[in-house]
Amino acid sequence: MARPAQSDFQRAFRGLAQRVHRRHALRLALTGASLGLSLGALAALGLWALRWGEWRPFASVLGALGAVVGAALANHRRWSDRDLALYLDARLDSHETLTTALAAPGSEEPALVHVLERANGVLGDAGANPQRIKPKLWSRFHALVPAALAAIVVVSRLPLPPAPEPAALAPGAERIQLENLKGLERIEALGHLPGQNPEQDARLKQLAEQARKLRAALAKGLEKREALSEIAKLRDGIAAERLKLADRQNRPGLDAALRAFSTQPVLRNAQKALENGDLTAFDDEMQKLANRAESSDRQTAKDALEEAAKAARAKGAQGLADALDAQKRLFERRESHADALRELARSLKGKLSPEALEDLKEFANSGSPEAEKRLAEGLERALEGLTPEERMRLSERMQRELEHEAGDASPMTKKQLEEMAKQLGRKDGIEQLEKQLRELAKPEPSDDAKRERGLDDAERGGSAAERGLGGVPIPMDSEGAPGSGAPPSGKPDSADPGAPGPGSKHDSGAGDHHGSTPEIAANELRAKADARLAPGSAAAMHGATLGRAPARPGETANQLGLGSASLGEARKTEVGAVDHADIPEEYREQVGRYFEP
Amino acid sequence: MTEPPAPTFEARLVQARDTSARLKRAIAQVIVGQAAVVEQVLWGLIAGGHVLLEGNPGLGKTLLVRTLSACLDLRFSRIQFTPDLMPSDVTGTNVLVMDGSGQGSRGRFELHRGPIFGQVVLADEINRATPKTQSALLEAMQEHAVTIAGIRHALDEPFFVLATENPIEMEGTYPLPEAQLDRFLLKVAVPAPSEDELTEILARTTGKPSGDPERVLSRQDVRELQALCREVAVAEPVLRYAARLVNASAPDAPDAPDLVRRAVRYGAGVRGAQSLVLAAKAVALLEGRAHVSFADLQRTAAPVLRHRILLSFEGEADGVSCDQIVGELLSSVPTRPAAVERAVQGA
Repeated sequence: MARPAQSDFQRAFRGLAQRVHRRHALRLALTGASLGLSLGALAALGLWALRWGEWRPFASVLGALGAVVGAALANHRRWSDRDLALYLDARLDSHETLTTALAAPGSEEPALVHVLERANGVLGDAGANPQRIKPKLWSRFHALVPAALAAIVVVSRLPLPPAPEPAALAPGAERIQLENLKGLERIEALGHLPGQNPEQDARLKQLAEQARKLRAALAKGLEKREALSEIAKLRDGIAAERLKLADRQNRPGLDAALRAFSTQPVLRNAQKALENGDLTAFDDEMQKLANRAESSDRQTAKDALEEAAKAARAKGAQGLADALDAQKRLFERRESHADALRELARSLKGKLSPEALEDLKEFANSGSPEAEKRLAEGLERALEGLTPEERMRLSERMQRELEHEAGDASPMTKKQLEEMAKQLGRKDGIEQLEKQLRELAKPEPSDDAKRERGLDDAERGGSAAERGLGGVPIPMDSEGAPGSGAPPSGKPDSADPGAPGPGSKHDSGAGDHHGSTPEIAANELRAKADARLAPGSAAAMHGATLGRAPARPGETANQLGLGSASLGEARKTEVGAVDHADIPEEYREQVGRYFEP
Repeated sequence: MTEPPAPTFEARLVQARDTSARLKRAIAQVIVGQAAVVEQVLWGLIAGGHVLLEGNPGLGKTLLVRTLSACLDLRFSRIQFTPDLMPSDVTGTNVLVMDGSGQGSRGRFELHRGPIFGQVVLADEINRATPKTQSALLEAMQEHAVTIAGIRHALDEPFFVLATENPIEMEGTYPLPEAQLDRFLLKVAVPAPSEDELTEILARTTGKPSGDPERVLSRQDVRELQALCREVAVAEPVLRYAARLVNASAPDAPDAPDLVRRAVRYGAGVRGAQSLVLAAKAVALLEGRAHVSFADLQRTAAPVLRHRILLSFEGEADGVSCDQIVGELLSSVPTRPAAVERAVQGA
């Protein structure tokens, strides 16, 4: 008796359960669709704002997706039979009859059998009136379905907003691509310069290599500020390689060496050049002295060089002493070259042109390298005009004079003259002699002068490269002769190797000083300086990438690192720290010249 | 002679509903109003539990019990609790009885049974007796047996204790210990009669005395009702709801409402949950149902739980009543899962 009732109950209950489950799933699907379409409307609005107009209609797909998710969720959260019975009991007001009947399937207990029969009656009533058990399908939230759909349609038809103005790049952030930045080749040439020692050789080659890498990076493309920063580093490296005769270590030696030059008026120019630390000018003066005809002047110069080298070495300026020794050796070689030239000129006196005679006179008086060059050229022309008989006679005469003046001439001079006389006697000798004369016409600077000149040239190359990138070169200490002034065109990438940068010590100041600094359109301006102020740190504060902060060690009273570590601030005890600081002598002198009356 | 066929469950159910209806009608001939009180007393009778009636003097508590016993074919006894009442006055004692008189007479102990040996026992003003005497009721209420002079005496079934207490007189009273309170299935609050009811009471009691009510239920009927009550089915979700309700009455329970956490010191225990389900079964039976519903539990929650909840000092200071606590429990503990409840409400 109970079994039919049980099966009837199960069948009727399943039938009602299907209906409830279906409507429940439909309701959740509608809720998902509402949510999805609402998000879709927002997404369409976002796409409209982003100007991705063609994607706007696809926002409605989110509604379908939401419906699928809702249906899946309904399936996942499908009510159990017990929950369903509780729901039906509540809706049918049946005092948990169905719940109790469901709890004991197949039971033979009289009470449960009775409950099962009553449950069948309840289900029968429910089947007759299914409206009572239908879960509510629609809610106010579902009104979002048509509203969101309408919103998507409207937004999809809206014209797109105007394109926003492109954001301005930060200063220096623009990428530049240059196949050949002028000026870098002069830094690359540092690799061929002779260093004072192997370590400096390596550093110079490294600078050249960095310049080559920068050139390659610029060819591929680089941020302007990065390129400027690299150039600033290179320039700092170049400045660090200069011979610092007046620094803390070399200063006493330099003073002692200068005293050796101060005794003779003929050495005044050389003394001045050495005092300025201008080894190029010093080398020029020494060349002039070595070319002079007066042997007493030359001896004076050699003595002074020897004495100055000794004094510098005694004061611990080993670098300066080595440079002076090298200069002395070069002086002697130049002296013998000049003697040879003068001797040859005297032998060819009748064949020389009036201009060559003038040059011979100037060469004897001033020893000017320009006069030497011109004299060598004049001698070469005179040799070309000799007949074979004249050459033989010249050779014989020179040999006779050599025998006559055997005791007076210096060994080097005698040897050279003997060689010249022999060459004049041979057929091809004249050609070799001309070749030697051409070699003599070329200037032969000292290694230090060559290096300083090369560093000077590299520094100018760095300035040119900075100007080529549109930056304002930082005034750096520049040795050697001034250039020809600012380029007439005013173009920053002028190829004039002698053009000094604005603000350099060779700048005449006659340029256009009108104008103003434009406001920088940026929220902040970051310095890229790698400022290490710890004592002993050799790294310069490079990287004033925009040419605004030429900061280097020694430019602040706080460089000893004892203050508050802020640039431009010094404790009371540090006032005057500049005088005791490791500030390059060149910089001191540069500042001093600016303030001289 | 053949035995009549056993009645079907449906017939027993119908009979139970009819007899309980007749009982209520019979009581109503004497007791005016107090339908809820009568109903709850019947729950206790059918569920086989004891009932504590609490109300002001003169509300008809004693009359209700007397009328009930008159309607039942059960032995009635009454104990008027006073401070000098001794436990033996309740349980009875052995008395030395002499056979004959004079020198050769022999004595023997004879058990004089106390009023506890009745079937419907009225413990009137139970809180006036000392705890010692009150505890004499403990064994009888729990075990349906008493031990006198080391001999255990079983009480006749059905055994039904109806106790009354007066809540307003505190002087000379001894509040019932918690263990004893827990042994009452229900604590029924007897309200004051309404104006109409009072008018009817006046009309009935100031005129010619009416006769005794008719005897409606025999002892067998009562036992049948109690047996049928135990057969009433309870679904697992309904039992779980009863368990959640009782658990939530403890202040340290995770689902306890804020009021319970604040105002309750101890909540109901296992016996409280058992009493709740039994009382609900009685309710279902009186309504002619063979199963318990959530509503049955909710109807019985207050009389079953109110004497099992011990208020904290803060609760007493705030004037929180146990009925408020039960109301809070009923409103905060859900009957169905949240999703089902939302669907039922049509949200």
